[in-house]
Amino acid sequence: MANNNSTHNKMYSESTYRVGDYVYFETSSSSPYQIRRIEELNKTPSGNVEAKVMCFYRRRDLPTPLVQLADKHQMATAEDSDSPVAMKLKKMWLKTPVSEEQAAQAVLDPAIDKVFSEAEENTSALEEEQRNNANSNGTDKSELSNKQKHQMKHRELFLSRQVETLPATHIRGKCSVTLLNEEESLLSYLNKDDTFFYCLVFDPTQKTLLADKGEIRVGSRYQTELQHLLKDDETDGRKIEELETLIWTPHHSLTDRKIDQFLVVSRSVGTFARALDCSSSVKQPSLHMSAAAASRDITLFHAMDTLHKHNYSIETAMCSLVPSSGPVLCRDEMEEWSASEANLFEEALDKYGKDFNDIRNDFLPWKTLKNIVEYYYMWKTTDRYVQQKRVKAVEAESKLKQVYIPNYTKPSPALITNNSKNNLLNGTANGNNDILALTGNKPCESCSSSSSANWYTWGPSHLTCRLCQTCWNYWKKYGGLKTAASRLAENDVEALKKRPVETLEDEEKVTQAHRQSSNKCTYVNCGKEFKLKAHLARHYAQAHGIAIRSNSPRPIMKTRSAFYLQTTVTTKLSRKLCRHVIKSKKAARQPSYAVSLTAVKNEFAIAITKVNITDIKSFLKYKKKDRGSVTLIANRLGNPATTGCEWLKLTPKDMMPKPEKVAFPKPPKGPDGSLIYERIPNKATPEPEKFVIPNTIGCTIITPSNIGMPQSLPNLPASVTATPISAPLPPSGKRRAYELNGLDPAVAPPPTKRPNKDPMPSFRPSPEQYAAMIEAAQAAGQPLPRTHMNGKPKIAQMSRSGSGRKQVISWMDAPDDYYFRPTENNKRSRRNLSVTELRRLARRPWRKTSVNNNFSNNTSTPEGPQVVILD
Amino acid sequence: MSTVPHSKKRVCYYYDSDIGNYYYGQGHPMKPHRIRMTHNLLLNYGLYRKMEIYRPHKATQDEMTKFHSDEYIRFLRSIRPDNMNEYSKQMQRFNVGEDCPVFDGLYEFCQLSAGGSVASAVKLNKQAAEICINWGGGLHHAKKSEASGFCYVNDIVLGILELLKYHQRVLYIDIDVHHGDGVEEAFFTTDRVMTASFHKYGEYFPGTGDLRDIGAGKGKYYAVNVPLRDGMDDESYESIFVPIMTKVMETFQPSAVILQCGADSLTGDRLGCFNLTVKGHGKCVEFVKKYNLPFMVLGGGGYTIRNVSRCWTYETSVALGVEIANELPYNDYFEYFGPDFKLHISPSNMTNLNTTDYLDKVKSRLFENLRMLPHAPGVQVQPIPEDGIKMDIDDQDGAVEDDDNKDERLPQSIKDKRIMGDNEFSDSEDEGPQGDGRKNRESFKNPRKKQKTDGKAEIDGVKEEKNSSEEKTSETSNQTEKKEENGTATKKEESNEPLTCET
Repeated sequence: MANNNSTHNKMYSESTYRVGDYVYFETSSSSPYQIRRIEELNKTPSGNVEAKVMCFYRRRDLPTPLVQLADKHQMATAEDSDSPVAMKLKKMWLKTPVSEEQAAQAVLDPAIDKVFSEAEENTSALEEEQRNNANSNGTDKSELSNKQKHQMKHRELFLSRQVETLPATHIRGKCSVTLLNEEESLLSYLNKDDTFFYCLVFDPTQKTLLADKGEIRVGSRYQTELQHLLKDDETDGRKIEELETLIWTPHHSLTDRKIDQFLVVSRSVGTFARALDCSSSVKQPSLHMSAAAASRDITLFHAMDTLHKHNYSIETAMCSLVPSSGPVLCRDEMEEWSASEANLFEEALDKYGKDFNDIRNDFLPWKTLKNIVEYYYMWKTTDRYVQQKRVKAVEAESKLKQVYIPNYTKPSPALITNNSKNNLLNGTANGNNDILALTGNKPCESCSSSSSANWYTWGPSHLTCRLCQTCWNYWKKYGGLKTAASRLAENDVEALKKRPVETLEDEEKVTQAHRQSSNKCTYVNCGKEFKLKAHLARHYAQAHGIAIRSNSPRPIMKTRSAFYLQTTVTTKLSRKLCRHVIKSKKAARQPSYAVSLTAVKNEFAIAITKVNITDIKSFLKYKKKDRGSVTLIANRLGNPATTGCEWLKLTPKDMMPKPEKVAFPKPPKGPDGSLIYERIPNKATPEPEKFVIPNTIGCTIITPSNIGMPQSLPNLPASVTATPISAPLPPSGKRRAYELNGLDPAVAPPPTKRPNKDPMPSFRPSPEQYAAMIEAAQAAGQPLPRTHMNGKPKIAQMSRSGSGRKQVISWMDAPDDYYFRPTENNKRSRRNLSVTELRRLARRPWRKTSVNNNFSNNTSTPEGPQVVILD
Repeated sequence: MSTVPHSKKRVCYYYDSDIGNYYYGQGHPMKPHRIRMTHNLLLNYGLYRKMEIYRPHKATQDEMTKFHSDEYIRFLRSIRPDNMNEYSKQMQRFNVGEDCPVFDGLYEFCQLSAGGSVASAVKLNKQAAEICINWGGGLHHAKKSEASGFCYVNDIVLGILELLKYHQRVLYIDIDVHHGDGVEEAFFTTDRVMTASFHKYGEYFPGTGDLRDIGAGKGKYYAVNVPLRDGMDDESYESIFVPIMTKVMETFQPSAVILQCGADSLTGDRLGCFNLTVKGHGKCVEFVKKYNLPFMVLGGGGYTIRNVSRCWTYETSVALGVEIANELPYNDYFEYFGPDFKLHISPSNMTNLNTTDYLDKVKSRLFENLRMLPHAPGVQVQPIPEDGIKMDIDDQDGAVEDDDNKDERLPQSIKDKRIMGDNEFSDSEDEGPQGDGRKNRESFKNPRKKQKTDGKAEIDGVKEEKNSSEEKTSETSNQTEKKEENGTATKKEESNEPLTCET
């Protein structure tokens, strides 16, 4: 049973082809298999599997002069690894004439030629060696040596960097191709089926062979100056303290248990700190979530650092976790980012991919690149990432890792059968019958045996040669006959050479086409180039919103793809004849409006009988509308110089009206010209003094005074991560504009919790209410409700930066989503409108109607006509 | 108990919390984030608390130009993504741009990586540690004035140069799937550094590392290249790594070892094509550790980052001599390790193109080369300092072939006796100096001595005691003298033993 299983598995694994496997491909029934390496397996939209493969060439596929070169090389490698030819070949590109004519005269580089002639003298040595090998195998000397030499040539391949795409169903089995190692005897290849070797790389376009080898360079420009061994009285001048800072040492008196306990304590403190911190409690409404957040690695690292800084004294370390200002709160990027920032990030990721620089510039300029990278890797652990992954999965869906192809059992067309019926069915009756008649009982062309289960036609048809089963298999796999003794041996090489060269040229064209269509974005004004097709596809998907299957240009996303509806004559006619059924204008306005096909058909059937042929002709006649020439239009649109309207020109930057108050002043420039952004609050800085935030005023959360603690914090241990809970205020006393909002910070008592982050506040105050709220808030020192940034609601705006590229405004400036809550008045006035009027209004919101005016006068909505309904 | 001392080592680990945030760019396979993932795993496995953790300094320009050309470093220092256009000519010259992109903080990243390795070397030189780990290092492709293969500054060369101040011979071992061409090139013509690289060869980056590349000039035979083919599995890897490295240790006799642990030789790597598991990879660390030489462990390649962090976590545990559970502890990046959330990975069913025949051929050729070294058999060599657990690799020639038992696991009962519990405070030698001076200082200072005491003659043991008491009083006593003394003593002893195949 087990045995059975294993054999089954083995068979299965034999017919399972993976990326990286070396395989035989059958492209023509009469020529030998091609040897390829699978680079990619792709599923086509039609469900077939295509293999992108790397080509290996046989000796017979090479132009003649190159074969000669290869011969010399093989000899050289076989005989002595340090032979001059081998060395030469390693170091230089071998150039041979490209055209066939020139090839006939094959003038080799004289330098190499010279080396060859030297090498020639050693050929006898090679034969000697091979004879010895043969001897050791206990077989006939000279004959086997020749045969081996002959067969060896079938095992040598030439790697090319050429890639082509073939249907996977043409795979005919596995083989193995390895770089020949000079230590290996060539016999080890001969003695094993389906093994090939290569040493040279063939470039089909340049028609060159070269050795695939890098080089270690020698010279003072490459080697290092050597450090001499220091003498006893010499010192290296190294001060170890300058090279490193101790963060943790295992040499202390604490037990593992104690450390664990301390870690639990610091996590508990973190949980409590989150309970006190308003912004945290919004994000983590449940205790479990707070506890989970407090268990993140940043808390643990901080705990370890604290222990180290307090000399591994649990007691002092513990005290430092709960300074008088409140428990220490460590938050990593994951927790630090607000929901809106997270959304922005995802949006940006959609748009730019993982180009974090662009993301930072256009979406999250207040974050540092490091913030974003750190956040990205944490974000990948969240559920939100799963969604993104799906996009990738679609991309990868067509990429297969392995493919199962059952053994090919169909008989080859070259098989000679005696069953004429079969032949007729195959449609090849003529050729085969002739051959059958002619070949008669001819022995096998290769091994001269006259008995075989199957026979195959081989060679040019007028010679009517045939091969036995084993020789046929050999021919297919190794591209030659077992012995060089065949009467066709020379002919064979010549005759068969022609063909491969031709096909080679075809292939060349293919490769060139391949190269030209390198992975360049075809989008207008983009033209980015990519190394991999997948990258290009991702670029398309993310930058231009076009999704492309990895191997076909067919888009997968329906929304963006353009389509062309080709109408039949009947359709065209029916549009005219059944106008009242189709109601084309209505249908155009309301794409969801269903047109009853059956009704149209019925109507058409009736109407068509009533019209005569001339009417039909006139219906079908295309009435051309004069819109001017396309070139004119294109010129007008495409030529920026012809923009006539003054108002269309962009106001120069310095002429732009300046706002009274800049909500987000540009941060100061650093010495390197880059903008210096403030540290994000709660993201700790290594310097301890930045931690001390004596100014608790204006803080949006519970202040120490509220819980009866002194105002200033003690010096907290320097730590990369930790901040006390009062940290939402940016360190260094600077405040962000949004925190001020024109309030007097000096009188700010502890505010209430921040309003819910629900994007749709259900409460929308009237202007009077709003004013009252402002007053109340000012009196109480509370921050303003977030729906009223800077005292007035905002409308979406796009800003343009110098480059002219649209920039998304920062999330703080971004408008909140509006919800239009109609009053009774609104509702009443709506009811006064007819359905058509309402629809018309909806379609043309800018059009003023009398009704509209009345209605807006009546309304008590604070914004009146300004209301923008975004949701 | 006398066999225990070397199982627990003083391990120093270098890490900068910023290193994970450097980003090579969209679609680039090199992700420094893997170093942070490793770090977080180390914390949650409880390995963090068992070693000295250091934040490395940022290597200065002066330090880097010990190897690299001034212009190249100046270029690295000044180039930024926003001024790239001004440097297009230099970028071409220094091979920066394609594989080695210009990214934000590029120079700082190089500084941290090199800083860790240099600090490690100094630490080993000062004998303040036995093993130093810098997963941020190991960037072995960087050339003297050229970036290559995601590497800009060759921290390994800088580390070796530092070690050469105190060590006559330094051995560099590279188990990255790519050839360690940068290090090999830097020391191609010297006999003081031997570079040994195990790598995929043939139609593979960087194209160097042929079996026939053996060094040049004085350095001939001091570069060992083991070209391998696709699909190397644990078994094949060990079958070639162990005999060759045993021979190298024996003939070259380094006094310090650097191991580059590029994790792209693991199975399923995005760029690699070997089939090693974390265990097989970690065995190399285990092997080198046994020699009790000053030992630097560096990172390197590795492009399937979940496996890289698994591997380096495991190798840290090997260096520490602590066993860790296969179940991964919860950490910030736990979700990366799904669906199994285990430490160890299983090999794929890819075919191993390295036949035993091929490996044997390569092996014998390399042995031939190693025989050309001046230390080669024929001259009685000093025995390699022995590990606590006795190995069968003496100078016997046969040992190379039948080394199978060497790594056989000992019964748990025996192993248990040898492991010192973490909560045990008595009779341990690696206690801090606050103890009563029980610290066995010579244990790492002069390991050769130890070996003699546990192995051989009683008389010597007495002599040793005297020596060690002397040492306690004057710490930095002339070591070389003692070494010589030991050497001759050893020779004397060994001469009684039958000579094997040498001479």
